[in-house]
Amino acid sequence: MSGAGATNAAGAAGVTPLVATGAAAAATAVILLVAADALSGAREQATREEARAAASLYEVPGVTEADVVSLLDGRARIVAPEAGGSGPGAFAYRAGALQPAAWIAVEPADEGNGWPWAAFVLALLGVLCMAAWAAARRRAPPPSRYPAAATLLCAALFALVAAAAQQWAHGELGAVSSARLARGLRAAGIAGAAGADPEAAARVAGLPWASGAALGEPDRIWTMPREAGEAIAADPQLRSAPRYTVVAGGATYHGGAVALREGPAGRAETPAGTLHLVFLGYEETSSPTVALIASAIGSALVVSLVLFLLPLAARPRALARTLAAWGFLAPAAALLLVFTFGPLLFSLWISLHDWRLVDPAHPFVGLENYRALLSDGGWWSAILNTGVFTLHVPAAMAVALALALLTRESRRAVRWARLALFLPSVTSVVAIAVVWKWLLNDGYGLANRALGAIGIGPVAWLTSPDVALVSLMVIGVWMVVGYQMVVFQAGLAAIPRVWYDAAKVDGAGPWQRFRHITLPGLRHTLFFVLVTSVIGSFQVFSLVYVMTEGGPLGATDVAVYHIYREAWEFLRFGNAAAMSWILFGVVFAATWLHFRLLERRGAHA
Amino acid sequence: MPDARTAARATGGISRTLLLAFACLVMAAPFLWMAATSLMGQLEVFSSGRLFPESPLWSNYPEALTAQPFGRYFLNSLIFATVVVAGQVATATAAGYAFARCDFPGRDTLFMVFLATMMVPAVIVLIPRFLMIDALGWIDSYQGLVSTELVSVWGIFLMRQYFRTLPRELEDAARVDGAGHWRIFRSVALPLAKPAVATLALFAFIDAWKNFMWPLLVTRSMEMRVVEVGIAAFHSTYEINWPYQMVAGVVAALPIALLFLFTQRYFVRGIQLEGIR
Repeated sequence: MSGAGATNAAGAAGVTPLVATGAAAAATAVILLVAADALSGAREQATREEARAAASLYEVPGVTEADVVSLLDGRARIVAPEAGGSGPGAFAYRAGALQPAAWIAVEPADEGNGWPWAAFVLALLGVLCMAAWAAARRRAPPPSRYPAAATLLCAALFALVAAAAQQWAHGELGAVSSARLARGLRAAGIAGAAGADPEAAARVAGLPWASGAALGEPDRIWTMPREAGEAIAADPQLRSAPRYTVVAGGATYHGGAVALREGPAGRAETPAGTLHLVFLGYEETSSPTVALIASAIGSALVVSLVLFLLPLAARPRALARTLAAWGFLAPAAALLLVFTFGPLLFSLWISLHDWRLVDPAHPFVGLENYRALLSDGGWWSAILNTGVFTLHVPAAMAVALALALLTRESRRAVRWARLALFLPSVTSVVAIAVVWKWLLNDGYGLANRALGAIGIGPVAWLTSPDVALVSLMVIGVWMVVGYQMVVFQAGLAAIPRVWYDAAKVDGAGPWQRFRHITLPGLRHTLFFVLVTSVIGSFQVFSLVYVMTEGGPLGATDVAVYHIYREAWEFLRFGNAAAMSWILFGVVFAATWLHFRLLERRGAHA
Repeated sequence: MPDARTAARATGGISRTLLLAFACLVMAAPFLWMAATSLMGQLEVFSSGRLFPESPLWSNYPEALTAQPFGRYFLNSLIFATVVVAGQVATATAAGYAFARCDFPGRDTLFMVFLATMMVPAVIVLIPRFLMIDALGWIDSYQGLVSTELVSVWGIFLMRQYFRTLPRELEDAARVDGAGHWRIFRSVALPLAKPAVATLALFAFIDAWKNFMWPLLVTRSMEMRVVEVGIAAFHSTYEINWPYQMVAGVVAALPIALLFLFTQRYFVRGIQLEGIR
């Protein structure tokens, strides 16, 4: 029995370096494939665009076939429409005709800098490292921190490979981009020479020329004096390969194109006699960054998984047990990975970009979103409102504790009170919000009628900036009190009766018993309720959405509602993501503070 | 002397009962007022001094409920909540079993990582989840509504706590008979965990039913709205028609209230399991 186990272990140890090396090599291949795939996608798109540009140039009256062929340096062929269709190309239509006049077939260009050697070398080094490590581990016993260290090493290695691959892909995309710009400029030039008006020439170029309102993004248009613009436009070098790098709004833009339109006369910011230089970036061709990062993280996970399993390979029973456990965990873990951990990283990523829903470009802005929030009064007043709203938690806890003590003696009272008191915390929040809105109606609500009956003037519950937040806090108390009461009932039931009896014998009064037995006995329950309720109240949304919409005058604009509006009304996802991280920080700090306070109390008690 | 003490206790009991009754009345008042208003005329609610309908106007119900497709809203909520319950029960029982009953390296670390997600405010993952669902083309579809809600860390925690209380002997007996983990999970552990599963299912159902923000973001058409979003939309359409709105409120609150009425003990157990660690 033991002999068989020993041979098994030896066999597994022999396989170990091989498996680790194989996993690392496969993972690297995945990263490189992702990069290559992104690039070939961009190339394909570029070829299709070239075909479209050539076709639209062909459609301009006065343009000859030789012009179209020269646009793409002989890579374009013009054939009869029925002959086309295989390979990249586009149909060209002559003015007024519904049938295609020709098929412009385009051969893909072989632009680019060759292969990602840096990434290859790094990957090779990494695989060698893995092999060496795995081989070394055969001799020495594994240190206890092995899995963590292996994971870190894997992550670092694959990050390096991914970075190198990304560098390479960006270089390639840059080449594609500038070729595209050069071709656009040339197409516009040919169309202009054939007598097309600037508007039509701009269309033929297929580039985002500055056509007034169509380009609303001011930081991508470079306005310059007419002479300078004309000099750039006339520069033959520029026509062959225009390439600029400009930093605008925190993002780097490469490439450039000269607008044919003049700036509108009479507007102060764009004086007449200027030309617009329009910049478009790699963002126009889809960047492989996200896919590369994702594949690097995935690869690190896979390889560290293999490294993690390898020590177990020698013990088949343990391996089977681990695999079975992973099988049970797989559905939950996969869903959490995709819909919680992934989004957490993604959210951080978004918060570092100027990310708007309507704009396909998401320039990287670093910590700019956070910096802008520091001086955003609206946001901090929303945080303050949230903090004030959270003050309803201690009030609710006091009421809930009183109710729990009241219902303590009789089981029947407990059951009935529970039914009535618990209902608000289970029923639909939106329905509750609607009811309370009616209840707190200025003229006809129950609250003001009741006050009127005892001679107190009407209160503007939801329409006065001074009162609205307090009204919401009252509703907050009403909503959570039942839930908290049930938790307290459970906590109270866990305190031994004997303690009370002993205290009574010692002559302790009700207050002393409460102070010295009930409160200390409930310490953990109180803490639990406090933390969960505070975390919950930081996330209040539905009440505000239905009842006040953050008003009046922003008095009830709480954090989550503010984030909601920033993202889904103003479509500024980058800002909203940064806000949600700040909110997380605040929640985290509050929880941490609670823990610290509890610790101190515990130490003194 | 004994008489005096009994009397004192009796008055104490009465004042307690009165106090409790008053608290219950305050807590229930909004619901009663909602029910009363739902049966009043549209102008009757504005006449001063009238808290209850002169004669109940039952026609409010069919009128308000046909003003918008509430049947569809309820169907959507039901589909949403049912799928979420099925998903959460499946993922949480399996994961809870693994954490409670299986022995594998890194188990406790992984469990802490899972638990840590409970600290994260939901709003952080809302934006990326929305962008992901949008990229998948699942906006305004059941897949989009449901897919992000299929796992509950609280549920995993609950199931783990419960599975840990099961005696080892049962498992050992099954193992002697040659049963693997899957067999033990399905035919020993899961049947024994019925009460915990019921608690989890109930909470998952109510949470899904009450979920407002996510359905608000991922649904656009009237046909895909769930009850909560439907009521909010109804509220902004019939801003001043309070009886209609109260009808909507009653209809939204009633199913959950009834569900709670019949399943109280599972609620209480869930809360107590959560509260005492």
